[in-house]
Amino acid sequence: MAIQIIKKGIADTIQDKGRYGYQHLGIQANGYLDYQSARLANYIVNNPINAPVFEIHFPASSFSFTQAHTICISGANFVPLLNEKSIALNTPIEVKQNDVLQFLKPLQGRVAYVAIQGKIKEEAWLNSHSYFAKSIQKDAQFEWEASEQPLFNSSNQLQVYEGKTTTIQEIQSHVFSTAPLQFITGPAWNDLTERSQKAFLSTEYHIGRQANRMGYPLKGALLQLNKPNQYLSAAVTRGTLQLLPNGELMVLMADHQTIGGYANLGQIILVDLPRLAQVSNQTSIHFRETTIDTAHKLYQQIEKKFIHRS
Amino acid sequence: MKTNFENTNWKLQILGDHALVFSLEEKMSEAIIEKIMALKKSIETFHFDFIKELIPSYHTLTLVYDIDLFYQNEIASKHNHSLTHFGNALLTAFKSAAADIELVNSIKKIKTNNNLIEKNSSTAIEKIIRIPVCYDELLGIDLENIVSKNKISIEEIIKIHTEETYLVYCLGFLPGFAYMGKINELIQIARHASPRKEVQAGSVGIAGMQTGIYPMNSPGGWQIIGRTPIKIFDKDPSILGKLEAGNRIQFYSISFSEFEKLNEYK
Repeated sequence: MAIQIIKKGIADTIQDKGRYGYQHLGIQANGYLDYQSARLANYIVNNPINAPVFEIHFPASSFSFTQAHTICISGANFVPLLNEKSIALNTPIEVKQNDVLQFLKPLQGRVAYVAIQGKIKEEAWLNSHSYFAKSIQKDAQFEWEASEQPLFNSSNQLQVYEGKTTTIQEIQSHVFSTAPLQFITGPAWNDLTERSQKAFLSTEYHIGRQANRMGYPLKGALLQLNKPNQYLSAAVTRGTLQLLPNGELMVLMADHQTIGGYANLGQIILVDLPRLAQVSNQTSIHFRETTIDTAHKLYQQIEKKFIHRS
Repeated sequence: MKTNFENTNWKLQILGDHALVFSLEEKMSEAIIEKIMALKKSIETFHFDFIKELIPSYHTLTLVYDIDLFYQNEIASKHNHSLTHFGNALLTAFKSAAADIELVNSIKKIKTNNNLIEKNSSTAIEKIIRIPVCYDELLGIDLENIVSKNKISIEEIIKIHTEETYLVYCLGFLPGFAYMGKINELIQIARHASPRKEVQAGSVGIAGMQTGIYPMNSPGGWQIIGRTPIKIFDKDPSILGKLEAGNRIQFYSISFSEFEKLNEYK
């Protein structure tokens, strides 16, 4: 009774909200790259919103189910196929024994989430199921205990709260909006030359090809400090904009190391990190400075969307 | 009377929308990391549920918080829902407690110098952790490198590396990787220009004025002078990291056969 990996993807893992409380020991937090889409998938199948899900990158793994489950795919659109037939995103899908789930091609976004209704039967490490470093291998098996909570009524009609439809639309349009990414300036922002500050705020950037769960390199205007790029290492967070010695920028993502010694120019605010996580290499991105008050308001607005509304 | 703690210039900055940084002068200094650890302990005593992490590193202490839990806590309304306000209150509480300790110490030890008072006022420095290292050239694969670059013998490198105690300034890079220092100038050496693809777990290395131990096999650029048979990091939640910032450690030299006997990586 398991979900089996029949083809290995390039970087697929299981992720939840991540593990906190151990960074002073050098243990990374990990967790979803796009917490909003991951939560959406859980929300749609009535799981606790921070439950573990499969995080899928393209080229993606293929899955085979050894028992019936209700699943939901959110986030990037990699054209999911169930037994060679396309299925919808952000919708509960019933899968039967021996069904095969594959992903055809990346249409939109760069990280997809597969939530399985119920509970993973696997021990957490330090309160989290999040993988770090290694990705899911071929033939790996995952036991999932299906939950009793029905999502379909007796005539096989989907029961969806009306409020849920609104949440799905709102989260989707937020995650895939092309508005500038908001950040709060960091300790080394004022060490940038005035020209570099302007360049960062006014020119466009692209995500480099080496992007992974540790960090997304940015391609665009090179930036300069008016002092050597050498700082005593201090803690960094997800969303930290690090200036590398060659003048390029790196945004630290979910698997980032706990401390860093390069110039910390600022941090992208939490609500905008899912948006960065989903940006494709072709899309241009811009940055805009914001305040902690705005960031907290936006964060709370998103949180409220996951509370059932009727 | 002005005390050392009152004279210390703490800086408080927000770090993005879910962290705060308390910092002192940007310097690798024993006195500074001791104060950072003392502040960490002071904040821990409050057991705030919204504090997710307290990460010390050299001259900074970073507090990571949960936005929702912060606003749900009554402390948020007490401080006008302002993290900066709250952070300053933590500093004030810490400074007054620290000043009390200092006053007591200064009365008790009127004859002693400032340096000693600072040590006594800190609870961060505990007993010395002793770590065995086999400095055989088969394991210390960069010893020869230091011999030729620093014009020093292997025996002298071992003597110098083991005669001093080192302070842990932070952990990072890998789970359990402790940055320790400062090492004697005579054995300081820059890291390799391009890192090795794999350094063996337990390897003890040098990079600039710091020394460290690789807790697991990993790519790495430090100059390797030996290997410890002791696991300094274990995934077992009851063990995890054996080293924390503020710990004082000392290496001691063991033979290859002792290394084999003690080897926990087998």
